[in-house]
Amino acid sequence: MDSATLLLVLTLVVGLYVAWNIGANDVSNAMGTSVGSGAVSLRQAIIIAAILEFCGAFFFGSHVSDTIQKGIVNPDLFIQDPMIFVYGMISSLIAAGIWLQLATYFGWPVSTTHSIVGAVVGFGAAIGGIEAVYWNKVFHIIMSWIISPLMGGAIAFFIFTILRKKIFYSSNPLHAAQTLMPLLVFVLITTLTMALLTKGLKNLYLELSFFQTLTLSALVGLFGGLIIKFIIRNIQPSHAPTMERSFIDDKTITALEKAKKHLQRAQAFAQGDLSFKVSLALEEVESISQDALQTAKAASRTSEYRAVEKIFGYLQIITACFMAFAHGANDVANAIGPLSASIAVLKTGIISVKTTAPTWILALGGGGIILGLATWGWRVIETIGRKITELTPSRGFAAEFGATTTVVIASALGLPISTTHTLVGAVFGVGMARGIGTLNLVTIRDIISSWLFTLPAGACIAIIVFHLLRLIFS
Amino acid sequence: MLNILKLFGQSPFAPLQSHMDQVSECVVLLRNLFDALLQQNFDEVQKLSEQISKMEHAADLIKNNIRNHLPKRLFLSIDRSALLEMLSLQDSIADTAEDIGVLATIKHLEFHPSFEKDFHPFLEKNIETLQRVRNIIHEIDELIESSFGGIEAEKVRTMVDEVAYLEHQGDIIQRRLIKNFFNDENPMSYSTFHLWQRIFEAISAIGNLSEKLAFRVRMTLEL
Repeated sequence: MDSATLLLVLTLVVGLYVAWNIGANDVSNAMGTSVGSGAVSLRQAIIIAAILEFCGAFFFGSHVSDTIQKGIVNPDLFIQDPMIFVYGMISSLIAAGIWLQLATYFGWPVSTTHSIVGAVVGFGAAIGGIEAVYWNKVFHIIMSWIISPLMGGAIAFFIFTILRKKIFYSSNPLHAAQTLMPLLVFVLITTLTMALLTKGLKNLYLELSFFQTLTLSALVGLFGGLIIKFIIRNIQPSHAPTMERSFIDDKTITALEKAKKHLQRAQAFAQGDLSFKVSLALEEVESISQDALQTAKAASRTSEYRAVEKIFGYLQIITACFMAFAHGANDVANAIGPLSASIAVLKTGIISVKTTAPTWILALGGGGIILGLATWGWRVIETIGRKITELTPSRGFAAEFGATTTVVIASALGLPISTTHTLVGAVFGVGMARGIGTLNLVTIRDIISSWLFTLPAGACIAIIVFHLLRLIFS
Repeated sequence: MLNILKLFGQSPFAPLQSHMDQVSECVVLLRNLFDALLQQNFDEVQKLSEQISKMEHAADLIKNNIRNHLPKRLFLSIDRSALLEMLSLQDSIADTAEDIGVLATIKHLEFHPSFEKDFHPFLEKNIETLQRVRNIIHEIDELIESSFGGIEAEKVRTMVDEVAYLEHQGDIIQRRLIKNFFNDENPMSYSTFHLWQRIFEAISAIGNLSEKLAFRVRMTLEL
């Protein structure tokens, strides 16, 4: 086997390994929240993730891939010796794989995206010189890593504040939810379809004007809204008595009202001492009936919130689907970007300026993600789902909406961001709006420190591996 | 690969509610204790007093557990100081109940006709105040779900007003009780007088602390 084929096989294997890692670890962070809130079961989550991650990777993944393969490093500077470029891309993949393995072993919170970008930048700067790297683009990418959790948080905060004011604070939460939900679904589906279509259609060789995209998205949104309206129309609060409070019958309340009326009549006709005694009895009955009404209202309110959460469960399923799609789109590039760049060079022997990731490579990436999900990812989803109970469907929906919108916009702009960090930011956004009982601020420190450590670490390992490869294969 | 599990911290609200339950049990035992005192069953009084002490200690263990697991890095939906203050008030109620138990065992006390009639309503009113506040603490689950606002918060506000009213009624009974107690013709020994006085003060402290606790919860609401 000649060295070119060996390199090709090595590239494919490492690319597949990175894709597997994404499926095994990253997906669980996205889908675990939906399982934890009870909106989807584990099995449903795996099926949704498997189908939609692949679709996202396949139909929408190329833009971020472009950035990683030639948006960061200028391939032209390697025209003299294209093999250096190939070694560089492969060593980036291997560096990311090694760093991920180390991080899993030691339990560090490391992002796949950051590892790959760090490795590619490191290789470019060290080997090709400072001019090899598009520092402008790198700056944009680093900015997007900082902005994406903040933006996810801001959107989630905004959405949850609206939910709070319109639904949870209203005098009839269930009715408010049933009225507001179709509108929310409409906005949700329209925005996300809009973002997807504006950039995703290139893969399907369709060209639509802005106005056509808008109309199409609005139609899809309208369709979704109507379906939801139909589904939730008939949800009623269940009348199951709660254990703590005593079950107050409607009959009891009406009987007390009747007693009050009788006593009032008696008071009108009684005189003197009797009238005084009757008014005392009337006061007593009034306070008892007041108490009973409060207790009855309390019992119904508990089940109303539960019914509201049930409605949000449907909404969370929709956001979970979009989340899986957006995650596949954004993260498959981590494996595919360097992979397709090196394969293009290995096959043609030259670095061409305009290679987009070939379809079969995108499919390979998507397949790797599904493989990771099926072998290891499902277990992580289950663990996360069992242990997260604070994220009820309404909170989960708000957080996922914020995160998904941010990830989709980033994918459309070709910026590789960390889905997990964005989701963490979104959850904090909901927490700021007093939606969640307790949050651990240590995760913020972890995220910031991972920004600082992963870039240099990925770069160093990539440079070492590059020299090793050049030694072995030249 | 950030495992999203690290994001959620250990919630202190459930332990807070179980602490309140433990405190409530301490206070409710006072009913049995004074019933036994009425029947001059001093062995039973001693036994119940020791039981209250044991329960107060169990509540302290829960309290310390909560305080040990409330690091600065935990971001809560209510103020940390509000939570700690509620815990502190609940702890004071348990301590007061224990004090009453101890006071009742220092001497073989007797009920005096001057206050015998008013004592039972006085004790009952304060215990009722405490139990209402216990219901408020148990509403915290629902408050978190409704984000501390809306009709749930209105309901809790009504409950707080009720607690304040009960405490006021307790004050009225206490005034009557104290008047009769001090204006009594038949003298009792100084130590008996002093002990009963301390017991009355401690019982009314339970009502006062319950009202303070209710208002502390009121201050966390978005109203």
